[in-house]
Amino acid sequence: MRRALAVYFVVLTGFLILPLIFLVPISLSESQFLEFPPSSLSLRWYAAFFQDPTWVSAAVLSFRVGIGATAVSLVFGTLASIALVRGDFPGKGVLTAIFIAPLILPTVVLALALYIVFLRWQLVDNVFALTLAHAIVAMPYVVMIVSASLRRFDTTIERAARVLGAGPVKAFMLVTLPYLVPSMFAAGILAFFASFDELIITLFISGGAQTLPVRIWNDLGLKLDPTVPAVAVMLTALSIVGMGIGELIRRRNEQRYQSATPPEA
Amino acid sequence: MIMRRPTLLLLLAPAVLLAGLLFVLPLFGVMRLSIFDESGFTLGPIAELVNSRVAVVVLERTFVLAASVTAICLILGYPAAYFMSGLKPKTRAYVTYLILLPFWISILIRTYTWIVILGREGIVNKGLGLLGVAPVQVLYTDLAVHIGMVQILLPIVIITCLAAMLDIEKDLMKAARSLGASRSQAFWKVFFPLSVSGAATGGLICFILSLGFFVTPALLGGRRSIIIANLIDLQVHQTLNWGFAAVLATALLAVTLTCLGLFWLVMRRRVEFTGAGLGR
Repeated sequence: MRRALAVYFVVLTGFLILPLIFLVPISLSESQFLEFPPSSLSLRWYAAFFQDPTWVSAAVLSFRVGIGATAVSLVFGTLASIALVRGDFPGKGVLTAIFIAPLILPTVVLALALYIVFLRWQLVDNVFALTLAHAIVAMPYVVMIVSASLRRFDTTIERAARVLGAGPVKAFMLVTLPYLVPSMFAAGILAFFASFDELIITLFISGGAQTLPVRIWNDLGLKLDPTVPAVAVMLTALSIVGMGIGELIRRRNEQRYQSATPPEA
Repeated sequence: MIMRRPTLLLLLAPAVLLAGLLFVLPLFGVMRLSIFDESGFTLGPIAELVNSRVAVVVLERTFVLAASVTAICLILGYPAAYFMSGLKPKTRAYVTYLILLPFWISILIRTYTWIVILGREGIVNKGLGLLGVAPVQVLYTDLAVHIGMVQILLPIVIITCLAAMLDIEKDLMKAARSLGASRSQAFWKVFFPLSVSGAATGGLICFILSLGFFVTPALLGGRRSIIIANLIDLQVHQTLNWGFAAVLATALLAVTLTCLGLFWLVMRRRVEFTGAGLGR
């Protein structure tokens, strides 16, 4: 029984990572038709990406919006997390729900909603407004990860700093913040990719400006452009490396703070 | 560590402002637009929704698709999570990364890859060709939409089920076994009931996320596979029927919130019930 389950599990995992396995050889194909296995290998579609100004400008816009949205959601979300974890006030549950909600509510609803108000405020086709809209989608990750990490933090360490004469802000900055930094980093990476991936909201409110997903989306409507697999592989590598670094830092930090507390007798 | 009110306000202000202006307010705007037009209160768009053949068919299709994707994810995911729950913690950590790996990759790209795999010249049809079977049309059918959505949502279901299973006391199974239960009796009478709420949580998240899918049905399905999110997009960008789009969006929002609300009620009762049973 156990063996049958193991076989089943391997097959299922294969199904889950199948698209990833196929992507690389397809992107290396010489041919302009998407074929698998490729008859001859080349990097021509990678080169095509960097030579096409529309692809490059889409990537640049994605980075600009992604970095902006990450910064906004990270700062706003972390500050809010401190209040949500440490503070006690009426409506805390509702507020938490509102901050998390963009993660679970259908994005198309938010996209339409933003489109309607942005038209009224004349913010369609505005990179700054697009960045803030992306920050809304990215903030749930920050609030969830940072408040979870803050909840695990042993407040006696901060209290010790207070007893030794540090003011509340100084104690927080010098004691708690260093502990939070790795989870903020991990949250920032998730926030960045949430923005980098965001398609529907961008389609509605960007007024024709193309981020990478929008560029890919527009391409798919017309033909199967072999540049897309090359872009996909680069994006995938980027997210795997980014997430991997985030996870590594988070785990190292956890171990550090674990070994910092003396083993219990 | 008591925080004073001004400090709290200062900390919350930026996030509240952002979420208020770009989330809560716009959502109310959509709901408003679905019952008000230039001349005031109107039930026009709602009547349009109820009377529209297209809307009714698309709504129905959305639910059926979400329900069947959820069922498939649960059936495929539960045994996988069960297998993972029996692994050594270190092995399990690695396997979890493997399961979550595709989860980190853009939905658009994963969907795109299925186009290549399932297409007429794709690997599936090439394989069938080698076996001497005529090419089959998978791409642009509901089957393709199911494959794509299951691949995207399955990791969520597996991880949610797994989390619930890891919370189950291993001693309970041992106790059942030592009291004479067979392996399968111990599973069905002890383990399964305790894991049901976790599986239900995973299923619900999967169902709600399925309702809002946009990319996968649009790219992998045929013209007749569009679901509610695609219809909203069509109304805005092609038909320019905003009131109708707003009603569709409000309906989608209402269904999502109702699911969440029902779930919250059921889960709360369940917690109270088991809590009382354990004498806590």
